Amino acid sequence: MQSKIDKFTIPIGPQHPALKEPGHFEFSVDGEIVTDASVRLGYVHRGIEKGTEGRNWVQSLYLLERICGICSHVHATAYCLGVEKLAGVEVPPRAQAIRVLVAELERVHSHMLWLGVAAHEAGFDTLFMYSWRDRETVMNLLEGITGNRVNYSANVLGGVKCDISAEQDEAIRQGVDFLEERTRHYLEVVTSDMMFLRRTRGVATTPKAQARELGLIGPTGRASGISHDVRVDAPYAAYDIYPVKLITATAGDLEARFIVRINELFESYRVIRQILDTLPEGELTVRMPRRIKEGETVSRVEAPRGELFYFIKSNGTDTPERIKVRTPTLPNMASVLVLAIGHQLADIPMILTGIDPCFSCNDRMVVVKDSGGDNRAMTWEALRQYGIEYYR
Amino acid sequence: MNTLTTIITLLIFPGGLCLLLLGLAYEWVDRKLVARLQNRVGPRWFQPLADTIKLLAKEEVVPENVQARLFTVLPVIALAGALTSALYVPLFGLKPAYSFEGDLIVAIYLLSLLTLCTGLAGANTYNRFSLIGATRTLTQLFSYEAPFLLALFGPAIVAGSWKISEIAGYAESHWLVLTQPVGFIVALIGLMGKLELPPFDAPEAETEIVAGALTEYSGRGLALFHLGKGVELVVGLTLVAAFYLGGVANPLAFFVKTLVILLGLAGLQALFTRLRIEQTVGLWWRYGALLVLVQFLALIVWEGWVA
Amino acid sequence: MKLSTMWKDALGSLLRRPATEKYPFVRLRAPEQLRSQLHWDLEACTGCGLCAKDCPADAIEIITLDRKAKRFVFHYAIDRCTFCAQCVVSCRQGCLKMSNDEWELASLTKEPLRVYYGEDADVETVLAGAPEPDAEPAPGD
Repeated sequence: MQSKIDKFTIPIGPQHPALKEPGHFEFSVDGEIVTDASVRLGYVHRGIEKGTEGRNWVQSLYLLERICGICSHVHATAYCLGVEKLAGVEVPPRAQAIRVLVAELERVHSHMLWLGVAAHEAGFDTLFMYSWRDRETVMNLLEGITGNRVNYSANVLGGVKCDISAEQDEAIRQGVDFLEERTRHYLEVVTSDMMFLRRTRGVATTPKAQARELGLIGPTGRASGISHDVRVDAPYAAYDIYPVKLITATAGDLEARFIVRINELFESYRVIRQILDTLPEGELTVRMPRRIKEGETVSRVEAPRGELFYFIKSNGTDTPERIKVRTPTLPNMASVLVLAIGHQLADIPMILTGIDPCFSCNDRMVVVKDSGGDNRAMTWEALRQYGIEYYR
Repeated sequence: MNTLTTIITLLIFPGGLCLLLLGLAYEWVDRKLVARLQNRVGPRWFQPLADTIKLLAKEEVVPENVQARLFTVLPVIALAGALTSALYVPLFGLKPAYSFEGDLIVAIYLLSLLTLCTGLAGANTYNRFSLIGATRTLTQLFSYEAPFLLALFGPAIVAGSWKISEIAGYAESHWLVLTQPVGFIVALIGLMGKLELPPFDAPEAETEIVAGALTEYSGRGLALFHLGKGVELVVGLTLVAAFYLGGVANPLAFFVKTLVILLGLAGLQALFTRLRIEQTVGLWWRYGALLVLVQFLALIVWEGWVA
Repeated sequence: MKLSTMWKDALGSLLRRPATEKYPFVRLRAPEQLRSQLHWDLEACTGCGLCAKDCPADAIEIITLDRKAKRFVFHYAIDRCTFCAQCVVSCRQGCLKMSNDEWELASLTKEPLRVYYGEDADVETVLAGAPEPDAEPAPGD
């Protein structure tokens, strides 16, 4: 053992069972109590924003859709809405309604997935298994509608690819009925299971003022009483026809985050049914020009994790000039570091999962400044040579 | 001839090889039951055996900065402790291989050897997950050990003996679960704590500290620890069944009763959320120890009055 | 506050069959909409190349041997394809279609993943000049 230990740090990640994606956290602990926390992101930076600049508008859609595997549809929707605005194209109402329908089904799948992951982090594997079993229902629905379980590619520029047939309508209604019943059960579980509440109630409590200070968004912020939801504040696609009720809670702890997310599921079920009841007839797509008029725009949508922001700039050619994406995980990430302090080590995975992190989404380019004589900075050629030497 | 019988008793049946296989079989039953309770398929019957064989065949990586000898010898001691304790227990419904006055205490402490070895193994390495895991393992040991011990002493008091075979003989005519329900529940839950089964798996909570104290173990060492756990599961189940569920006088009773307890354990594993380590300690000392102590005192007083 | 809330699910599951899909043993029926291997119809194609242009994964290549005689070879790289169906949308002649039951496409070699559609003679002409798909890449590549 070391003779003197000032700080005992627990490294979590980049490879760790608690993380489903790579990220590096260091928690200093005093016994079991966390005293300091730091994070290092960027392990899965993929250069997607830059990648779009070398592809045409249509190809970029599919690249951007792959920013996130869980909420791929909202990325595509945000991009399509922005590009359509730039091109001055009016998308048919049926296409907009189907976009919203798929987005809400995606929210259902994302929240169910989160419920399972969070239960697993708490060590309640039975809830994990059951919620994921029931999530298969919505995955099958999405597969039935769009043709894929993930990366649905339901959007094209100027509309959607998939239509809702009478059989699919029936299948969705049945699936949603089943899910609603199960969701009611899960709400009961997370609000009344004594052992589970011991791990969630009063953990990571974020009062509204602190949540505002940390800039929490999405369901994480709404659990602290921040009434902000792009679907309500600035309805896009068909959300002005199918309004969504804002779900908030005041407690701000992990339990509240469970409650907010589960209650959002009920709201999604309601919207899905309403869309099916009043799905407008008409075309699915309009023709899009291959070159988009010069200009720039922003596009905001509500992803399952919070506000998703797109900045799109066109220079009049068939490739984008600049696309900037702001995903909802990054603003929430800081809260993990702040809230972790003073909590038990055992609560860390729960606090981390509480914001529903998506690491690949939030990894951005990091500029490492060559601070003269720092041998950690390498040229590409030197790095390649180093790799060859290392594994020889 | 006598030596041969002894060797067979120790190495093949009922100790040694058969016990190891039974441990793996019970581990499979446990995993399968939990899987079915979670509406999953679960592993196939040979999975624990296949895992063990694979681990035994693999290279054991000894990390830097550990006491290498201690690192290799700890799993052996752990398994040996578990196997030795089995000699004093009526396995398969047979008489214990060895028996002497006070073997109950020896058996229980031999069982604890595994936990102690796990703790030492964790503290031996530089791995930070192992260190935290080791602290938690030992903390948990101190929380469940006393109540678990008291829960097993209850039957000993009424039977008036410290000999496992005599207590089991007494229990055959008395279903002690009816007269000492608190003791039964504490023994059952204590067994879960001992085996670090959920919800008492904080010492090896994978979402926090990967594999706890055994994070650095691979290959043979890990296989031996797993085998030890399996043996401990069998021995623990046998003890609880023999003391509280009307004894295990014949093989049929042994299998039926231990499997029924295992079903209960699987249910508890599936239904509860993992406790934080301080919650585990709180649960044991605030409720477990207190309740079992009250029952224990009541038993002593009762025995005193009757005698 | 209840001690346990999921015991009904757990007990019910003991009597029910597991929900796990036994996939390799029991093949699932794919939904009507499923997007799997792409198919190309030579008759309708005009060789405009819009599909190849819009493909986000560069999985399509239209090799024109003789435009007037409609001698096209459609080279489709399954291992590159992301099954987004943009080509199907982009094609104005409707000559592309995605099947919904050829979804077991995994392969240990690249050979089955390179698909050439077209007249047999034309495909042979194209293949004669194509590099071996499973060949080791040249050093320094």
